[in-house]
Amino acid sequence: MTALAPRKRSTRLGGPSVGRPGFVWAAPATLFFGLFALFPLVLVVVLSFTAWSGLGDPRFIGLDNWVAIFDDPILFKSLGLTVLFVVLALVTQVPLSILLGVWAAGFQKNRAVLSAIYFIPLLLSSAAISVLWRALLDPNFGIPGQVPFLFGDGNLFGKQSTAIGVLTFVAMWQFTPFYTLIFQGAARAVPPVLYQAAEIDGAGTVRQFFNVTLPQMRNSIITSVILMVVGGLTAFDTVLILTNGGPGTDTAVTPFYMYQKAFRAFDFGQASAIAVVLVLAATAISLVLVRVSGYGKMQSAQEGI
Amino acid sequence: MKNRPRPRMMRLLAGTAALAVGVTLAGCSGGGGGAESRPENEVHVAIYGDATNKVEEQIVATFNETSDVKVILDKIPGAEYQQKLQTIISTQNAPDIFFNWGGGSIQDFVDADLLLPLDDFIEEDPGLQDNFLSSVFDTAVIDDKAYGVPMRGTQPVMLFNNKTVLADAGLEAPTTWDELLEAVGVLKADGITPIALGGGDQWPTLMWFQYIYDRVAGPELFQDAIAGDTDVWESDESKEALAMLRELIDAGAFGTNFDSVKFTDGGSPALLRSGKAAFELMGSWNYATQQDADLEFAENNLGYTAFPEVEGGKGDAANIVGNTNNFYSVIKDTRYPDTVRDFLKLMYSDEFVEAQLAIGNLPTTTNTEKFLDTAAAPEYSAFQFDLVKNAPAFQLSWDQAYPPAAGTPLKIAVQQFFNGQIDADGFIAAMQAL
Repeated sequence: MTALAPRKRSTRLGGPSVGRPGFVWAAPATLFFGLFALFPLVLVVVLSFTAWSGLGDPRFIGLDNWVAIFDDPILFKSLGLTVLFVVLALVTQVPLSILLGVWAAGFQKNRAVLSAIYFIPLLLSSAAISVLWRALLDPNFGIPGQVPFLFGDGNLFGKQSTAIGVLTFVAMWQFTPFYTLIFQGAARAVPPVLYQAAEIDGAGTVRQFFNVTLPQMRNSIITSVILMVVGGLTAFDTVLILTNGGPGTDTAVTPFYMYQKAFRAFDFGQASAIAVVLVLAATAISLVLVRVSGYGKMQSAQEGI
Repeated sequence: MKNRPRPRMMRLLAGTAALAVGVTLAGCSGGGGGAESRPENEVHVAIYGDATNKVEEQIVATFNETSDVKVILDKIPGAEYQQKLQTIISTQNAPDIFFNWGGGSIQDFVDADLLLPLDDFIEEDPGLQDNFLSSVFDTAVIDDKAYGVPMRGTQPVMLFNNKTVLADAGLEAPTTWDELLEAVGVLKADGITPIALGGGDQWPTLMWFQYIYDRVAGPELFQDAIAGDTDVWESDESKEALAMLRELIDAGAFGTNFDSVKFTDGGSPALLRSGKAAFELMGSWNYATQQDADLEFAENNLGYTAFPEVEGGKGDAANIVGNTNNFYSVIKDTRYPDTVRDFLKLMYSDEFVEAQLAIGNLPTTTNTEKFLDTAAAPEYSAFQFDLVKNAPAFQLSWDQAYPPAAGTPLKIAVQQFFNGQIDADGFIAAMQAL
């Protein structure tokens, strides 16, 4: 619909002539970012060329940590797992939160109550959520112990497939409310006139959803996908508490593997190298997403209405 | 809204930032911030958080009654203790006194010149050495200097059982490996998980390896391995030990969902207590854990025996594995060494011994024996005391004996062997790669 609209005006409104704020306005945030993000990042890069156990002074060892990275099957496995978790998060969370968001955008009587209940996970910390589900999924004293016909022996954390399933489910339970909130706002912002026009053209509810609602929510969807991808790449707390990377190394995603290297093996040099890899990967993926989706241009979805 | 995903974009950077800021701070204070910059009139004690803390609290309260400089107990949740300690110990936030396992667990700190040798304290009060069993005290002696004072009970690993379950199944606690296998068969037929195992924690699984290797090959095999001779993992004894473990696992001794169960969140102790399982191989602290959850069960239905004998094995059936004791070590930078010394003296006081015995721990002071009758469970304490006193060898837990870098791969290999992800050859290869 937007693509068909004739472009009479420039899409980039307000050049310098409008008097946009200068760099000074961005200075506090830039300073903060530089001090607490960029500067430490530089230190981590430096640390990745050292051997350091946390005691005494780091010792420069050249490229050893970086050579070790390419000879580390567990790291490659962890990168694969990380990508898998991101894909699973997208596949489960996007459709569900779009449907819930669109539903919550309506004005049904029960909506407010149900939405409020549904948003509760958003108020809990990741640690609390993980501990909660760990207890709920205990094979002997939790839900699986009560419904053996559904869970078998309840060994959810003892097999790779079910452990991944649990982590994906808990992530979905935890984050869907947030994206639902975004999509609710996006769905509310769709001008009613579009639905009226669609109705005149004879479009039913389903057709309206696919041809009006979804295209209108495009930017919100891209925003959410980027958040999910970056969030998924850095997911750590639920893995630590729910599976501890197990069984074996079957759910050891890269951030968790980095933690193991740093705070269990006290090999901060190697852990820093992994951290740098992770930063590079996350940045690259975000950039690609922004480029491919045209998110950077931030065109309004209501162009021409 | 701490868990909103948007901040997570920053979390990666924040995480690396925390790492880096830690580096900077540590770098700054590495040269020794000096005692003057430490808190005034406070002595901080970092302690592993668990059921034994009530004794530590009591001792601290007693000490603070008469001392101007107050001792403050900083409890750190058990699972994160080691990480937290290593992160803060070379900074200004380091505790004055900290809990540890002696030996390998403080070696790096000694090498980094962070710890205070206790020789001066001992010269001022010889009791700080003489009042402890020397075999235990020596665990924290490095390069002929004492670095730790024993501060809890000795923690041999024992085979606990639920007396009611065994009685209902018509069984006696097994004294040999064959009897154990037999009991597993009977219990399994009764629909009971024979042995509770907190496989999710990994270290409870490791205990089975420690004992079976000791019984089959004797303590020498592991001593050789840790000294650098990795060929021993390929020996016939090693393979036999693994084959026996495999037989036990395949017999269904641990059920099928042990990797989803933990000891640390109370899962496996609850299995034993509720009678869903008959046995659990666990350190002596299990008594305090059970007592904490259900006093009556601990007193009446919690049975315990030494690990079964393996017929034809090289290891003495009286050998034990576990932790010899825990220790308090002192940071070199401490502001109040005299207060610290006086506090450490309480670790051999009558009050300390009685309080530890009251929760089922067995202190390793020379005056312990005369208080055995006053213990909460005199029988249990006496059993433990004899076990430790008569043991020809006391193997320190493998994960404490190896340096920290080996801990994770060791525990992963242990878990993977139990759940079938790797076979005996895979386990041997993993151990040789440590």
